[in-house]
Amino acid sequence: MSVLLNVRNVTMHFGGVHALTDVSFQVMQGEFLSLIGPNGAGKTTMLRAITGVVTPQFAKVELGGVSIVGLPIHKRARLGMAMTNQIVRPFVTMNLLDNVALAAGHRRIATVLKAVSSVDKGAERKKAQELLDMLGIGKHTQENIQGQPLGVLKRLEVARALALEPKLLLLDEPLAGLNHIEAARLADVIVEINKQGLTVVMIEHNLGEVLRVSGRLVVLDNGRKIAEGDPQIVMRQPKVRAAYVGKEAEDAAA
Amino acid sequence: MGIYELSLAIIVCINIVLALGLNLITGYCGQISLGHAAFFGIGAYTVGVLAKAGFPSAVCIFAAILMAGFIGIIVGTASLRVRDDFLAITTMGVGFLFLGIIRQQEGLLGGEMGLSGIPTIGFDKPGFLVIAFIAVILCSALSLYIKRSWMGFAFDAVATDEDTAKLLTVDVAAYKLTAFALGTAMAGLAGGLYCYFTRFIMPDDFGFLTSISVLSMVAVGGIGSVPGVIIGTALLTLLPEMSTFLSDYKLLFYGAMLFAVMRFAPEGIAGIGTRVVQIYGRRGDAK
Amino acid sequence: MLYLELLVQGLIYGCMYAIIAVGLTLVYGLLRILHVAHAGLFTLGAYLGLILTNATGSLFLAMVLSGTTVGLVGMAIYRFCYKPILHKPPYVALIASIGLFIAMEEIFRLLFGPYGLTYTKVPLQQTVHFFNMNLRAVDLVIVFGSISMLGVLSWLAQKTRLGIAWRATVDDPQMAESFGVSVQKVRYLNFFIGSALAAMAGIFVSLLSNMAEPTMGGVPSYKALAIIVLGGLGNVGGTLIASIILGIVEAFGTIYVGDFLDRDAIAFAFLIIILMLRPQGLFSRK
Repeated sequence: MSVLLNVRNVTMHFGGVHALTDVSFQVMQGEFLSLIGPNGAGKTTMLRAITGVVTPQFAKVELGGVSIVGLPIHKRARLGMAMTNQIVRPFVTMNLLDNVALAAGHRRIATVLKAVSSVDKGAERKKAQELLDMLGIGKHTQENIQGQPLGVLKRLEVARALALEPKLLLLDEPLAGLNHIEAARLADVIVEINKQGLTVVMIEHNLGEVLRVSGRLVVLDNGRKIAEGDPQIVMRQPKVRAAYVGKEAEDAAA
Repeated sequence: MGIYELSLAIIVCINIVLALGLNLITGYCGQISLGHAAFFGIGAYTVGVLAKAGFPSAVCIFAAILMAGFIGIIVGTASLRVRDDFLAITTMGVGFLFLGIIRQQEGLLGGEMGLSGIPTIGFDKPGFLVIAFIAVILCSALSLYIKRSWMGFAFDAVATDEDTAKLLTVDVAAYKLTAFALGTAMAGLAGGLYCYFTRFIMPDDFGFLTSISVLSMVAVGGIGSVPGVIIGTALLTLLPEMSTFLSDYKLLFYGAMLFAVMRFAPEGIAGIGTRVVQIYGRRGDAK
Repeated sequence: MLYLELLVQGLIYGCMYAIIAVGLTLVYGLLRILHVAHAGLFTLGAYLGLILTNATGSLFLAMVLSGTTVGLVGMAIYRFCYKPILHKPPYVALIASIGLFIAMEEIFRLLFGPYGLTYTKVPLQQTVHFFNMNLRAVDLVIVFGSISMLGVLSWLAQKTRLGIAWRATVDDPQMAESFGVSVQKVRYLNFFIGSALAAMAGIFVSLLSNMAEPTMGGVPSYKALAIIVLGGLGNVGGTLIASIILGIVEAFGTIYVGDFLDRDAIAFAFLIIILMLRPQGLFSRK
């Protein structure tokens, strides 16, 4: 198996806060990797560093063997990575269908000239409808964003990311805010997509689902990687348990 | 139509072209500009200087469009650095900077006294109206087409949430600059026509109040809506002419109208129209 | 010698800008509104100050009365103009505010005539010797008046309960509310003080030029917008420093690049250059 994403020595601090310290890991082609750790461990910052939303003080990031450091966000996305936001950010001026159709039309909007010379949105809307159907929100397509429950918007984020036809799907807490059944169903859809060959990196707090679906874990704590490997084995490591239990206890106390 | 009505109609057409340009930048692409009059002025002064140098009118107008669009791209790069309120103030600054430069250039641009003695475009008033009307048709058609195209789709994404647009592969910078280029080019066209129409231009024609008037036309009509902008522009241009009362108190009227629309109906005339359609549409469904 | 005189010139303008801009930046800090109509209050302050000075013969009394009245008008503007549209997109309040300002200028023109009013006897015109320079008393009053007003303001903000509540609200309205601060009260107070300061600035300008005219609010107050952006929107300290810097840059600029650009264009050229280099302003908020 070849390496799809190679993250080396990512170090990032904001002011005095060390968000990430010398974190390295690799993601294999076709793998389902979960990035876990307590709140504030630096998981979201890591995804943002990969997509270019934030610029670390030091990082080497390669996608498919090509360095993407220094590329702007949209160019990294065009190389084949799609990210969903932890806090949903739909385009509120568009209905659900067009939110996804815009992403499905990523080739049409790649250059201003292409965009201005094409009008027909039929094919992209059809594709968007298929994706929304697959995620189980196909009957909401013509509705406005306002007033949609979080469960729908969370799945919309995933549909929009998939519409980019990425090589690498980065999911930031896709299951947060969903009820038990919704979460399991969405996790199943993601697993299904992964089986079809799409590489997935997921941040998730729902450990039950993480252990059920992930092929491998990377554990962050306080901006450092503390463990990596097979989910069952990793979760038995004392330092992982300590990081989790300690933080959970603190969170519960607070 | 008498000479007076013809002149009014021409001014309405010029203002519509100007306002449609701002609508592209602010309405479509979400980039607020308080300096649109500067590009109107760049178009007008380009025509003024070239026409006096003896160039044919088609060349002058074309140069006005290019010049305004070109400087528009330069100013548009500001929108890549600053957003929202900061961009509003920066573009306002560009407007004042433009005036400051014009005022100090007494040799070429006439300074405070303005440029006079600009040659005629070669048409009489009715002919001029036809040309101005064609300009309106072209700019409206272009605006409507853009809205339907994938470019309009991408503009919408940039206007709503540019950070998310980037994650969805949208080259936000390219779209913003395109919006500025097209919108300011339209302002340049309007300025060129204006210069040929009045044949005498002064710095004050292109000051902050003009920028605000154009913004009012767009906002009162309904930001982003082509029919709304056309109606809003016609209304705000013609109403002060309809009665001497309104023309004496033109600015008071403008100010009060601007305030009242934003305070009570921020979506403008187009928004009111949509609401009416929705209400009647729903009633229709109920039957 | 020229440098020193330019510096003092810049300082006088800078102080004037500061007391106009401080109200604007406070409004922005609290409400995220670019309060263009602030310029209208500045003009109103100048007119009231001039008329009351002519009527009573006392500049001091006129300043107190003008400041109080303009402060109350400012509160009314918040209540009737801004409060109902706070939840709309930012351009709505901005355009509404511009509309209000244009209407105010017109009302002044209609009420007081297009050519402006003058003092029957201009106060504070006597010449004062100061470090080898001939200054007018009014110059000194502007500099020391502004500094002491801002000093009092900063003392209020640091030391009084109300001031602490005010700063807390600027930092985090929700948090302040949960500690029992009345956000509405703070906003009214904010508009009162900011507007009263604008009135003082208006009176100072009318003293410098012996005139109050309908359009006097235009340029200095658009410039005040530039200043609060430079100062890092909502940052009071940054605004004060930016005011002084801009006053001095203008004073020197008119000598050295005055042939290409007039005073206002210099100010905005400076603004644009700084913003392109530092998009968050000279001093960012956090």
